[in-house]
Amino acid sequence: MIDARDIRKEYGGFVAVQGSSFSVDRGEVFGIIGPNGAGKTTTLKMLAGLLEPTSGSAEIAGLDTETAEMRQQLGFLPEESPLYEEMTPISYLKFFADLYDVDPDVAEERMHDTLDELELEHRDRKLGDMSKGMKRKVAIARSLINDPDVLIYDEPASGLDPLTTNYVIEFTEQLAKEGKTIVFSAHNLFHVESICDRVVIMNEGEIVARGDLEELQAEYGHTRYHVYTTVDVPEAVQENGSYKRVVESMDAVEETRERAEANGGDVVDIRTEESSLEEVFLNVAEAGTRGTRYVEEDAE
Amino acid sequence: MQLDKLLRVAKWEVTKNAGGVDKRTIVVMALSLVAMGAVAAIAVSGGTGAGMDDGIYRIGVDDDSPYYGVAADDSTFDIREPDPAAVERHQQELLYRGTQLQSVPRTAKERAALTELRDSTAQYNDRTLARDDNQTAAFPVSVTLVYEQQSGSSQLDPRSGDGSDGSGSSAGGSDASDGSGSSTGGSGDGSDTGGTGGSAASGGGDGGTAGGSGANLGAIGARLTGDVQGGTPSDISPPFPFESLVLAFLYIVPMNFVIQAYGSSMLSERLNRRGELLLVTPASRGDIIGGKTLPYLAGAVGVAALITAALRFGNIAPAGSYVAVLAVVPLVVLFLSATFCGAMFARSFKELTFVTVTITVTLTSYAFVPAIFTDVTPIALISPLTLVVLDLTGQSVGLSSFVFSTVPPLLTGLVLFGLGAGLYREEDMFTQRPIPLKVLDALAGGINSRRSALKMSIVLLPLVIVAELGAIAFLFVLDSVSLNVFGTNQSLGIVLVLGVIVVIEELAKSLHVYAGYEHARYERTLRSALGVGALSGLGFFIGEKGLLIARLSDLESLPIGEAALQGATLPAGLPLWVAGLLFLLPLALHTVTAAISSVGASRGRRAYVAALSAAIVIHFAYNFAVVSTLV
Repeated sequence: MIDARDIRKEYGGFVAVQGSSFSVDRGEVFGIIGPNGAGKTTTLKMLAGLLEPTSGSAEIAGLDTETAEMRQQLGFLPEESPLYEEMTPISYLKFFADLYDVDPDVAEERMHDTLDELELEHRDRKLGDMSKGMKRKVAIARSLINDPDVLIYDEPASGLDPLTTNYVIEFTEQLAKEGKTIVFSAHNLFHVESICDRVVIMNEGEIVARGDLEELQAEYGHTRYHVYTTVDVPEAVQENGSYKRVVESMDAVEETRERAEANGGDVVDIRTEESSLEEVFLNVAEAGTRGTRYVEEDAE
Repeated sequence: MQLDKLLRVAKWEVTKNAGGVDKRTIVVMALSLVAMGAVAAIAVSGGTGAGMDDGIYRIGVDDDSPYYGVAADDSTFDIREPDPAAVERHQQELLYRGTQLQSVPRTAKERAALTELRDSTAQYNDRTLARDDNQTAAFPVSVTLVYEQQSGSSQLDPRSGDGSDGSGSSAGGSDASDGSGSSTGGSGDGSDTGGTGGSAASGGGDGGTAGGSGANLGAIGARLTGDVQGGTPSDISPPFPFESLVLAFLYIVPMNFVIQAYGSSMLSERLNRRGELLLVTPASRGDIIGGKTLPYLAGAVGVAALITAALRFGNIAPAGSYVAVLAVVPLVVLFLSATFCGAMFARSFKELTFVTVTITVTLTSYAFVPAIFTDVTPIALISPLTLVVLDLTGQSVGLSSFVFSTVPPLLTGLVLFGLGAGLYREEDMFTQRPIPLKVLDALAGGINSRRSALKMSIVLLPLVIVAELGAIAFLFVLDSVSLNVFGTNQSLGIVLVLGVIVVIEELAKSLHVYAGYEHARYERTLRSALGVGALSGLGFFIGEKGLLIARLSDLESLPIGEAALQGATLPAGLPLWVAGLLFLLPLALHTVTAAISSVGASRGRRAYVAALSAAIVIHFAYNFAVVSTLV
């Protein structure tokens, strides 16, 4: 559905994105994460046709990203989307529906359905009088007014309170279930972890890691084993009437079992814990200083 | 560009802004308009409505004295009971008993009061005679006043020595329309420039048709001020094109209000990235810009149409048609396009204010100053407002005049829209760079390859033409001042206009080249620099032929016009080889000077400034030599 081939963006002498390549399948939720200044927003804007790549090309549904036909199929939500504050949500959405050539009756139904789903009230109030969360909901409704196949969301929950953030993330998850192809960037890696099928990690304008969560965890994460014993062993802490030792390899698990048996006890439980995406990200960032490693396919 | 999307954006622009204007703002705007009208009315009435000098002279006069009526009709006098003691105490400036002045003016104020009374008496007598049933007895001498178009600068030029009196009474206006009409009550003194129009057309007349265009202008002035009295030699004052000024003022002021609103709307799209979401819709840049501009264009043209209709159907102007409205369109486009560029360059509303004030002053001067001289000099045709004045005064506007006045500003407007549109994209709209760098960004937007240098020199030519015409309009008054430069006896106006034109042309040839280097569009090698410069010079040489549009006017009948436009046309009657040489010399000049600037531009800003200065000196020397030889 989305195909980025070696897209590169330079501003004067500054390289914002260094030749990134990736593809996103139809119905997939694709996450782009990275520290500030990593090139996430520039990449998303090149996909949305807002920025012309210095070199390379990007296509969405086989259409060049700079064509009006492509933009007709796209819903874009920038990180900051200041609205026309003198307008009401309804007049604002109607205007954008007009620009996307949406039939007025269809637009009317669609905008009210979406605003219902987003639980936005006070629809006749001017946007300038609304809270940040309400404005964000209107911006999301705008991105859906043309019923796009592809959504590009840059930090959709940026600056929102935790309640609204969860609401927005859940709504995005629901859109994914409806079959939309979503490219998504967020600072909060928990959100990315919860809804993204695949992720790329960018650093200093470059993709430094990519893959699904399991692959990234395998490459950059750690599996921790929580070994519970009936007797005390070195490095164990008492927990709920037993002793817990956290180790990072099966050899260490075996060693713990041997020590427990030597002390007249036994292992009663072993639990595994995978690294979070945040830990993976930190590991990748650390590894970034040692050179780029690819989990999935090589850059095309 | 898609018309439906453009119209949707236009509709949105109107409704969005309408929603943002509350009732209080509407009231304030209405009051401002009323205040503006009042100020205009006071201006038109010559400031008499202000009443600043009401009652400043105290006159003691009986009501049976003939001077009582004179003083009563003049608001500067405060009539008191005659009291010699009050005169002694300096509480009365004048004292009359019957027709006799009883006091001797001793102070400056008393002398001024006496002078004022004498003037008022003369005007009182004129008005009294104008009301007399027997006009032949009242005005035994009738003078037909005919306004004659000046053929060039000779009548302004004291060196020509033909500024004798009596020309004002010569028969037959040379102007195309109706210069031979008569006005039975009108009179003039035959002064060298024709007398005032303000009172000649109507005073005491019996309805005779107005004479020339000046008479028509005078009639408009009289109707605007409500002053239909007069028509005696004492009313003739040194000529001042007051009526042209008022008409030009009426059309130009609303444009300045429109561009304020337009600039604010455009800039607000850039601040806080509000316009980013429009760029990601299927609407193109052209749709968005066109749609956002259309309401302001339509509004400004609509206001011009209303003014024309009000003048025409309010019987203030003797004529007025669609020609006046059409002539305003290029000016509106020019104002809006310059504002659009300004809004794309400015980083804040504060900076935009500075930009719009600059635009207002520059373009208002371009449109306003030449139009004041309607019927005085061909220079006037530089401004489209001259066409408006001509149309409103019932004079025919020829197609060539219309093309000459309107095409340069229209094309300039389109070029400016093009330059601004180059910045109407994500990576330029929301960046905060100083205005000079934004100008370079805009110029670099049109550069793709080395050949772009040729294209850019041609594309920028309308800007050059408008700037040069503006320079001619402002400097022609200095045509009469001689300046001894290198042993020649050129006029100061010619020398200055040559200097300004050289600077304009060299900047037009080289600034886009410099922008190309700054944006790494060209290689910074000597070979590349020479090639780019030569192409830029060639482009300018080709585009310069656009100056032939000046042939549609009488501009070349003026020495300053001839000097300024010598690059575009060749003198007649030259041998073929000389003509060929003169044709090719400008090509060599433009190529060489553009190459010099280009080499400098390829080596950085300081080198560019130095090379540009050298190019300007060479170009000026060439132009001055040609003008000294041919003009």
